Amino acid sequence: MTALYFEDVDIGDDIGPVERVVTTEEVVAFGEIRQQDTGPNRFNDAEVAKSEGLPGPIVPGAMNIAIMSQLITGWSPSVTLRLLDVVFRQVVLHNRPLTLSGIVTDANVVDGEGQVECDVFMQNEEGTRLVIARAVAVLPTKSE
Amino acid sequence: MTTDADIEYDRSLLGVEHPVGTFEVTQDMIVDFARSTGETNPVYLDEEQAAQSRYGGIIAPPTFCNIFISGGKRPDPGIKFGDLSFFAGQAIESLRPVRPGDTLEASTRLKEVYAKTGRSGKMVFAVWETSLTNQKDETVALVRESFVRRNRSRR
Repeated sequence: MTALYFEDVDIGDDIGPVERVVTTEEVVAFGEIRQQDTGPNRFNDAEVAKSEGLPGPIVPGAMNIAIMSQLITGWSPSVTLRLLDVVFRQVVLHNRPLTLSGIVTDANVVDGEGQVECDVFMQNEEGTRLVIARAVAVLPTKSE
Repeated sequence: MTTDADIEYDRSLLGVEHPVGTFEVTQDMIVDFARSTGETNPVYLDEEQAAQSRYGGIIAPPTFCNIFISGGKRPDPGIKFGDLSFFAGQAIESLRPVRPGDTLEASTRLKEVYAKTGRSGKMVFAVWETSLTNQKDETVALVRESFVRRNRSRR
């Protein structure tokens, strides 16, 4: 993967899309790392999830954020993610196809640093946007 | 948006710093976090490849600090509204790389409480801001989390 420079990016550029499935095994492993959410809960147990009015076990918000961030950090090794501001619109269920995509909405040099703003989306098979985010990424400039 | 004047909660918590904890960062923690989230970027996973990168070694993914921030460690503002609570959103500002061997200290404060009315009715938001500082007293990340309370829809 080649280095991406600030000058290579233009408003309206697409990022991704990337297809992804979050498996139950990944959710369980994530809960163990956090050393919480390890007993039966809405993230790993269908009955608990249903008792809370959910259609099934859901992916933790912190895991969705990590996955959203990968769209930006995976864009190019030269990209640094500075800010990710995420809004959860609908729950994300395990083992379902997800599509991550982004679009560049602004690009400016701020204090000598090439900053790119992007909108980032996680959507399900039906095209419903489950999680949306605004990201600010820093890219090197060719003059650096 | 409406003001918080009519919302009943513990206002003494507003703006007051509360310690969340001190955390030692290990390479295993970083690698386990990266693997569990399906990360494939070697800068988070592979010591040799990370050493060749601009970081000179393994660093943590930008949202790694989330594992240290637990809702259970915050004081309860006791918002007297709604019977449903959700994690509404989060903003993570990554200011410096987190590396194996770092010691992070986290503290949090209740930034604001406000109400909004949407299609599903009134909702009350509580916003917490957590800062994480390393052993050099550098802030490595700022995390702002929004939690919403609302009433169950009655159809």
